[in-house]
Amino acid sequence: MKDSEFYKIPIAYLLPYSVLIVASGVWLFLLSQGLDSAQSLMQTLKDIFYTPEAKSVRGLIEVATPHLFAMGMLIFVAAHFMLFSTRVSKKTTAIVALMVFGFALFDILAYFMISFGWLVSGWMKLLAMVSFVSALTLLLSLLAFSL
Amino acid sequence: MKFLITKELGHTRLLTILMSAVVFFILLYLVFDVALHAYVIGTDRHGIALTLFGDAENFVEPILLDTLLLQVHSDLFMSLFSLLILTSIGIRMYGGTRIIRWAVHLVFVLGMLSAVMLLVAYFVGTWLIPVWIAVFVAWHVFAFVLGVSVLKTLLFS
Repeated sequence: MKDSEFYKIPIAYLLPYSVLIVASGVWLFLLSQGLDSAQSLMQTLKDIFYTPEAKSVRGLIEVATPHLFAMGMLIFVAAHFMLFSTRVSKKTTAIVALMVFGFALFDILAYFMISFGWLVSGWMKLLAMVSFVSALTLLLSLLAFSL
Repeated sequence: MKFLITKELGHTRLLTILMSAVVFFILLYLVFDVALHAYVIGTDRHGIALTLFGDAENFVEPILLDTLLLQVHSDLFMSLFSLLILTSIGIRMYGGTRIIRWAVHLVFVLGMLSAVMLLVAYFVGTWLIPVWIAVFVAWHVFAFVLGVSVLKTLLFS
């Protein structure tokens, strides 16, 4: 690839941008669960666990639709840069990338279980969010290691 | 990423046309993004302060934190992808010259700072508004200049 060394610059900037996008996304979710109304983070997490905010299916679809595209794109772009990596094997990349795709889908769809009344507690959404953030962090770490 | 590995653009006219079209769309995106922020956030220091902090005397409510955060969240995503495409084509066209290297660093840092600075201004106060305006305008201008330069090279060389 021509001037491949220089392509490392935009790839490197993908990392802090992704961290900021995920951090603002998590913050937005916590705000929707009452974080802004003088609640501590721990209290908000407890509230999500025991009494998650009621959300309409329409509201969830409005959130899920752009995220299905955006999260898919972000994971694809980050993972496909690993094709140029000589430090991480293709097999490892494939496993991690599929794991991130899976957890992203789990994260996007988890709240539907609460809205449909299949779950009363919000533990599933918290688990989905933590799993997705952890898996994406692993993928981004591998990308950083490959630079 | 085929445009990164195709050796001679002269032999692939279709790729040149496609790259020109995507750069043209990114240039339009940059112009419309300025217009969008002018409508949503404001056009001058007073207007932006009114949006971010409201005006108690005139019963103007400040923007909700989740509305502002949603704007920042989508700004980060849009700027990341537009810059990834623009800078990759830029590096493809000009190679790794010192100027293009600095230009890539500059647009990425300014794009990121622009989004973060708006949020920081919301919490810190009005004195940061001019800084946000400067950073926001700078990232759009530098990205636009880079885009025009890439488009010119694609079309006329």
